Amino acid sequence: MSFNIFKINEDLKEFMPPEIVDLEEKATWGNPKRGVMDLPYSKELLEEHSLCAGCPESAAFRYILASLPNPEETIIVNSTGCTSLVFPHIALHTVHSLFGNQNAIASGIKRVLEWRFPDKVKDVIVLAGDGATVDIGLDCTLQSFFRQEKITTICFDNEVYANTGGQESGLTVKGHVFKMAPKGKQWDKVPIWQIAIDSGCHYVARLTVSSPKKVEKVIKQAIYVAREVGPTYVHLYTPCILEIGLNSDDGLEEMRRTDKERFKFFEYMTDEAKEVIQRKKEEGLI
Amino acid sequence: MSQPKRRRINVRMPAIGGQGAVTAAHIMATAADYAGYHAVSNPFFGAEKRMAPAESYVRIGIEPIYDRGEVVYPDVIMVFHSQVITMGKSYTMPFYSGIKKNGLIIINTEEDLLTERDHEYLESLNVKVFNFSATKFALDHAGTELSTNMAMLGAFFGITQIVGMDAVEEGIKARFLKKFVASGGTMSLDSAIERKFKKKLELIEKNIATAKASYELGQEWARQQGMESWLPSPKEVARV
Amino acid sequence: MQKTQQVQYNRAGQRVVSPEYLLFEAPREKQFMTGSEVVKEAVKRSSVDASVSYPITPQSEAAHMIGELWVEGYVGVYFRGESEFGVMSEVAGCSMAGARTVTTTSGPGTLRAMENFPMWAGSRLPIQLVLMARGVNTPLSIQPDNLEISFLLDTGCMIWHAENAQELFDMIIAGFVVAEQPDVHVPIITAIDGFFISHTREAVNIPPDDIALPPYNPYKSPLVPIDMEMSPGRFLRDPYVMKSNYISYAAHTSWQYEVRAAIERSRPYAKHYLRGLIEEFGDPEGEIVFVASGTAGAQAKEATQIMIHEEGIKARVVRIKTLRPFPYQELLQAVQGAKYIFVPEFNVIGWLEREVRRALYGNVDIPVIGSPRVAGGMTMPPEFIVKEVLEYLGKEVKHVI
Repeated sequence: MSFNIFKINEDLKEFMPPEIVDLEEKATWGNPKRGVMDLPYSKELLEEHSLCAGCPESAAFRYILASLPNPEETIIVNSTGCTSLVFPHIALHTVHSLFGNQNAIASGIKRVLEWRFPDKVKDVIVLAGDGATVDIGLDCTLQSFFRQEKITTICFDNEVYANTGGQESGLTVKGHVFKMAPKGKQWDKVPIWQIAIDSGCHYVARLTVSSPKKVEKVIKQAIYVAREVGPTYVHLYTPCILEIGLNSDDGLEEMRRTDKERFKFFEYMTDEAKEVIQRKKEEGLI
Repeated sequence: MSQPKRRRINVRMPAIGGQGAVTAAHIMATAADYAGYHAVSNPFFGAEKRMAPAESYVRIGIEPIYDRGEVVYPDVIMVFHSQVITMGKSYTMPFYSGIKKNGLIIINTEEDLLTERDHEYLESLNVKVFNFSATKFALDHAGTELSTNMAMLGAFFGITQIVGMDAVEEGIKARFLKKFVASGGTMSLDSAIERKFKKKLELIEKNIATAKASYELGQEWARQQGMESWLPSPKEVARV
Repeated sequence: MQKTQQVQYNRAGQRVVSPEYLLFEAPREKQFMTGSEVVKEAVKRSSVDASVSYPITPQSEAAHMIGELWVEGYVGVYFRGESEFGVMSEVAGCSMAGARTVTTTSGPGTLRAMENFPMWAGSRLPIQLVLMARGVNTPLSIQPDNLEISFLLDTGCMIWHAENAQELFDMIIAGFVVAEQPDVHVPIITAIDGFFISHTREAVNIPPDDIALPPYNPYKSPLVPIDMEMSPGRFLRDPYVMKSNYISYAAHTSWQYEVRAAIERSRPYAKHYLRGLIEEFGDPEGEIVFVASGTAGAQAKEATQIMIHEEGIKARVVRIKTLRPFPYQELLQAVQGAKYIFVPEFNVIGWLEREVRRALYGNVDIPVIGSPRVAGGMTMPPEFIVKEVLEYLGKEVKHVI
């Protein structure tokens, strides 16, 4: 390990589970060119994470954590829901405070860090579910876009409130029967990726997590643009296999299917964002 | 007839929005503070709108003042606009409700606006009424009715004789020279009056001239009424 | 790691002095100002790093003026948030990132922000909230009424209640100092009764503006600050929701106790910097004792003067400065010899009466009378307090009008 971020006390090492030791010994930090290709050899998320077996969110987590260009100086702000269950299991600064205030917390953190450490690069990333991003937290989400906060917002869209037992959310598709929508959802899925564009995001992408390489590219682009230009938004379809009645090994198939229709890859960038992405490509960082 | 020595004067200023009653209250308190008294001023706590009822309050005393909020039992009521009486633009009805014995009412008017019953009631409490046209005074001395509040202020200090013109001048200067927290509405009035006078100092001069003239008028009236200073001077208090 | 050597000047170029010097020793000059202006002056001398604002009467003026301080370079980060809920989360983010943080709110704003306050406390963020209490809906009121303080009592924040602009000035400065003690490190709410303080102009003595508190040192926090200058390790701020077992229950419970214990540990600091958790006023022999806080304390003082000088009744006031921690011992001692305890309040429910009853129950046998009580913007004239007391005692009411 090249970077002293996560260290286990030498005297206790023999008692630690091997996968925790792996977190330290096989970490890939300190290298902005790290990415999903490290995953077969390294580890960012414990096997005992709190998500369901086969949950596409856990795959998304692995890809994102492996792709962060600057993990040692990155703070992830999360929200309540399935996603919040994972964070205690990763070797990163994470904040959970309330349900729906993630972009407000991130705004405060980013602004103060920029002021306190003007010479350092510190990435602040919001990672929350669809309920947190689009329902209870919509105000804070959009207002952070309006204010041009330099943060990356990633939404794990599983189209349902999964952690509370499967209730309709703003990102549920019209007609789908979930709890609290016993007659089927009466209105359309919120086109949050489009709203993000209209609200001032400089880079917006919508995709599933079926392709690790694509996730890596999008995450890196979003983070680099947020650093220099302004808010960026990444919308990831991570289906809730439990609530839509799929088996543990069906998640990937579901995403591949929707890759061709509802979640066909979509990307938007402003000219300023394009310039940053081009430069980072030339530097070999994307 | 001389009135009993007070330890405190509570002043209520019913006015209508835009007349500068809040400014007058702040200057009054600043002047009293300058002269060595304890003083506190505050506006009515509500949404103030131009031409709607507006009120402000001042408490002046020879001991520390803890009391705050609206003045429910005033010693002095200063009516800035005839509509306070004629149209009931007042937070209390009648406008003199709560007036204390031996109190004083100053009304900006050219004619007597009170009914016979009003006079009877006020006389029963030995409350004196001083009618004078502060608006006309402002027009005559400052050339704008925006200085009405200065005329009212001068009359108050002239009658009560608790501070000299030096303190009144100091209060006016403090208000217009220092950076002052004002509402948007007050700021636009300030800039209107400043445009009128072009220069801030000219504005201050005119305001002082207005206050001085009404101070002398009030002083003369108080002498005719046989009034003495309404509060012991802070120096006297210090000696005791 | 940041060097621990003494800082001479803060980022605004003010000379750094000890809290003791700033609060007790520095020469002071008399200024004539409103409670809102006093907030600006206190923040200006407190080396504040960040503030987020939102408009609501009567706190807006104070929030505007913190913005002016930002323009002048005295505050590092400042912006208008989207709502009080957003603002209280934004200041939480600022505090987590290692900033000394202040914000202001009133009435409905407090209630909208409510979910954040226990989060601040649980996250051990020493944020200062200057609360200018006003009525809460419905019906709509923008007038002074301090019902909202009742809702805040058990959020895990320290709560102090200032009587006037002078005390507000001193409490804001002392608030940062006490809240940031490593063994305290919880939020501080410095409350005043809106309008009665915020919009009232009075004499205030303040030290010069070229000196200020030592800057906040986030590395003294009992929890790791999120500023990435320290190794994160497996760092957990989440509740242990992912494990529904006894360990998670115990962790949650013990942390709740720890937050309250932290407030308890603030007592000696508050006592020192506020010169006592209570103030006693009036005739020490007084058999009529008013127990009050904030503006009700001020009104009770006036009433006491009238009772002593004009009614020949021995009376006194015990004014509570700190609602959290509540001064149990001090109150118990102060009410010795009382025949009646009156608790005047600016709200309909009488939250202070409840607190007083709880503190005294089983300890003394003195009747506690939750009166007078006004709300919705009413003032509480001292004459009215005297009348209530005289009527209760069955005495003739003569002096009032």
